[in-house]
Amino acid sequence: MLRAEPLLKIQLMMLASEAQDAALSLARFGVFNPAACTLDTLAESPAASYREAWLEADARLSKLLEQCGDTGPLHLPEDAEAPALADLQELNRWLKEVWIACLSCHESEAQIHEARSHLDALEETLAKLERLNVDLARLLRADSLLAVHIGSLPAPGLRRVTEALAMTGHLVSRFDQVGEQVFAVIAGPRTRHEEVQGLLAQAGWRELPVPDELRTHPQAARAWLEAERTRLNTQSGAECQIMDGLREQFGPRLHEARLRLALARPLAEAALAGVRGKGGLAALSGWIPKRQLDALRETLDQHFHGRYWLDLREPSADEVAEVPSLVRYPVWLKPFVPLVKSYGVPRYGEFDPALPFAFTYLLLFGAMFGDVGHGAVILLLAAALYRRLGRMAWVGIAAGAVSMLFGLFYGSMFGYEDIIEPFWLSPLHDPIRVLTIAVGFGVGFIVFTLLVNTYNKLIAGHASEALFDSTGVAGLVFYLGAVGSVVSLAGGADLEQPSGVLAGLGIVTIALFKWFEARASVGERILVTAIETLETGINLFANTLSFMRVAAFSLNHVALALAIFTLANGLDTAGHWFTIVLGNIVIIVLEGGIVAIQALRLMYYEGFSRFFSGDGTEFVPLRLSSQRARV
Amino acid sequence: MSAYLNTRVSLFSGRLWRDDDLDALVSVPDDAVADTLALRGLPQLAAGYDSLGGKQQDSRSLEQRIIAQILDETRVMLRPLSGSARSFLTFWTARFEISNVKTLLRSKMTDERPAAILARLIPMGAFGRLDNQDLAHAEDVGELLRRLEAGPYAGIVRHARRAFEQSHDPFSLDAALDRAYYEGLTVRAQPLEETVGAPFRGLMANLIDRINLVWLLRYRFNYKLPPAQVYYLLVGSRYSLSGTQLQQLAGQDSLEAVLAALPPAWQVRLHGATDIPGVFARMEYAAAEQAQRVLHSPAAAIARSFAYLILRERDLRAVRAVLRGRHLGLADTDIRQALHRAPTEVE
Repeated sequence: MLRAEPLLKIQLMMLASEAQDAALSLARFGVFNPAACTLDTLAESPAASYREAWLEADARLSKLLEQCGDTGPLHLPEDAEAPALADLQELNRWLKEVWIACLSCHESEAQIHEARSHLDALEETLAKLERLNVDLARLLRADSLLAVHIGSLPAPGLRRVTEALAMTGHLVSRFDQVGEQVFAVIAGPRTRHEEVQGLLAQAGWRELPVPDELRTHPQAARAWLEAERTRLNTQSGAECQIMDGLREQFGPRLHEARLRLALARPLAEAALAGVRGKGGLAALSGWIPKRQLDALRETLDQHFHGRYWLDLREPSADEVAEVPSLVRYPVWLKPFVPLVKSYGVPRYGEFDPALPFAFTYLLLFGAMFGDVGHGAVILLLAAALYRRLGRMAWVGIAAGAVSMLFGLFYGSMFGYEDIIEPFWLSPLHDPIRVLTIAVGFGVGFIVFTLLVNTYNKLIAGHASEALFDSTGVAGLVFYLGAVGSVVSLAGGADLEQPSGVLAGLGIVTIALFKWFEARASVGERILVTAIETLETGINLFANTLSFMRVAAFSLNHVALALAIFTLANGLDTAGHWFTIVLGNIVIIVLEGGIVAIQALRLMYYEGFSRFFSGDGTEFVPLRLSSQRARV
Repeated sequence: MSAYLNTRVSLFSGRLWRDDDLDALVSVPDDAVADTLALRGLPQLAAGYDSLGGKQQDSRSLEQRIIAQILDETRVMLRPLSGSARSFLTFWTARFEISNVKTLLRSKMTDERPAAILARLIPMGAFGRLDNQDLAHAEDVGELLRRLEAGPYAGIVRHARRAFEQSHDPFSLDAALDRAYYEGLTVRAQPLEETVGAPFRGLMANLIDRINLVWLLRYRFNYKLPPAQVYYLLVGSRYSLSGTQLQQLAGQDSLEAVLAALPPAWQVRLHGATDIPGVFARMEYAAAEQAQRVLHSPAAAIARSFAYLILRERDLRAVRAVLRGRHLGLADTDIRQALHRAPTEVE
């Protein structure tokens, strides 16, 4: 719980033809984190084509499911095997055929939609042409010297097209615009007709199919338009029928395709990390928890009956940064883990701060927001929102409960200080004691972080930093000495001399360490040593004082309540209670929010930043369930 | 903020390559290439050269590293910018993504596998606006174009789709995409030309005029397109070569006639050019000279940044030529011949 589980690096070698089943078994096993294979002798990537086929098939299946709708819940049978590469490629080909059929229906639908828009535009155009009283039959005569086109083109290109056509003796006459489409007549010498064909195609010109009826009797075009609309509707209905047919025809097979792709996913995902091989052999590499080794062997024996070779080793010192961290948390601690992970993931072997975080965060929140009533409201609200907040609701419930507990200690209920007797102390009546306790807590917290950092540095093999750096033993010695000196000066103890010696010893050690660590010229080393040593003292002092905010917020809570009571007491009965209720809501929302953030800030910046680099890698096991982000 | 950007551009300008530096890179021993590249502010290229043993670096990876380097530097310059300056510089990087769009379209026409397509795309990092995975898995050009039309480059792609639907010619797709991109660039440049003035307008004029003249020559005499279509495919210009002049030039029957019909100042600039690469080299040289002047002038920070990026890209193309030459085992003299950057050397 306080540090990551010991892991083993495994290299599982098996027949390449069984790699997909091995990956599937490892995914079912549930605690195998794939990693890059480092065996130089295995130069090939046997799973690359498997992954490629899977990605293509998965993309096609996703598009089909988007069109056809979901095929229902997916149940993977325990004894189901992963498809071989040939099967996967076959499935991919089938999905391609289905998608192309589906796509052509879609494409047809899109074209029908465009044709309908075009007909709408044509109808409007006809109305204008009717008014023009132009003899279209003469205008559009194929044997005339003048070549005439009626059609549309995108409005932004009109000017350019007009200029370009003018170079060939053509005129452009715009007569209508519908949306972004401009309708125009283009006329020019028939001898130069060929010259403009390429230009018109390039400009996205769409010729209006003017029917023969229109050429002689513009009014007759209405009937033609209606006929065209009916034809498009029939065509669209046919396309819809084809789509429905596709759904009915392929629905069950699509479900099967989903199943097979889900079974193929583990090898495709493992291939991302790198499955290596040579000839008929393939090797999967990754990390498993040490305590799961026997279970893994059992799983593999069950499936492969000895047709595999398992090589394992402990992580080496130089690869610690790449080893994933797997920490098992008890159920009650899990809601707090995302708050720790939002800062970072602990490195393999590092101290995991989730447990002390949970306790300290709640303690700080309760101390700063101690009120039985407000705590109860937070608790009830978090419980009521459990479905929406999920596991995180437990953080709210716990914070509310601790707030109630401190409310009892402080004797505070909805800001009233006189309903219950304080079990411990009232911040308003004993502020100095509260401040002293807060600073004392801060000293304890900083000592704890320095000890944890020393442990982390020793684990990482940085003994000199653990012993002599400002965040190691030397820093701790200096800090304890400095605290002892301050306490002695304040008359709290008679330890002035030993404390001074301790502080001096600590700071000199730190200065010497900084001196030897700095790789620079003498002048620069002096500067670096002086500044970094000074910074050590200032940081520790400032970090300790930072904890005074705990006392400040507990006082602030009472002061806010007093302000509300003062306002409420100046009003009539209705106004009084309205102000009390509104004021309490403001305290819970505003101050509660601020205190939650301040407690988090204290944990992150006065705590985590001292010992927790947060640059570890999370243990992400191969799973059967969807993990698209990794793939 | 402009003080920051001006300082940053001045610091960056120290990384530009002089002809002597390029000359030295041609003959430097293999094991010193990575250090030379790193010293000239090309850590991305140096890393590639180092990790792959120099000569193993293939042209695709080299190209990708060069663009990654340019994007890195552009990102730094974008930090203090906002409004039209930010929009312009961001759009300037979008041409790499338009190049990805072209790769995607061409690959779909030849039915390439998605994995192969993805490997060929330029990694855009934080500048990427396209979902390449999704696009690479489109079934055909039609599906790809519709997906692109639903994305951030809808304006550029819509027109290209219509052109392609009419002609089914890959050339019309490329030409429509290029034209729409540079039209978009000039639109974004306009507010800056008004506020920043001559230095910025000069850089844009050099860029768009060069593009128009080279495209005109290529479309007219390599692809044998009719004058009207050539004119239509050029970028709408408000710079030195006006629309009327471009129409006249497109109507000429030979490269020599086009060059003879250019304004006198242009004829001096292009003196000695006998082919399209020659014209391009001379115009690029003139653009680089102007960018140098803007970079070393007290012009607005955005103009200096743009000038730096123009020069940097030119440098990186030259570095790429040297590294490719070395990769192919060409003789030093041949690489130097290919490197000629000044007009007198082009002849």
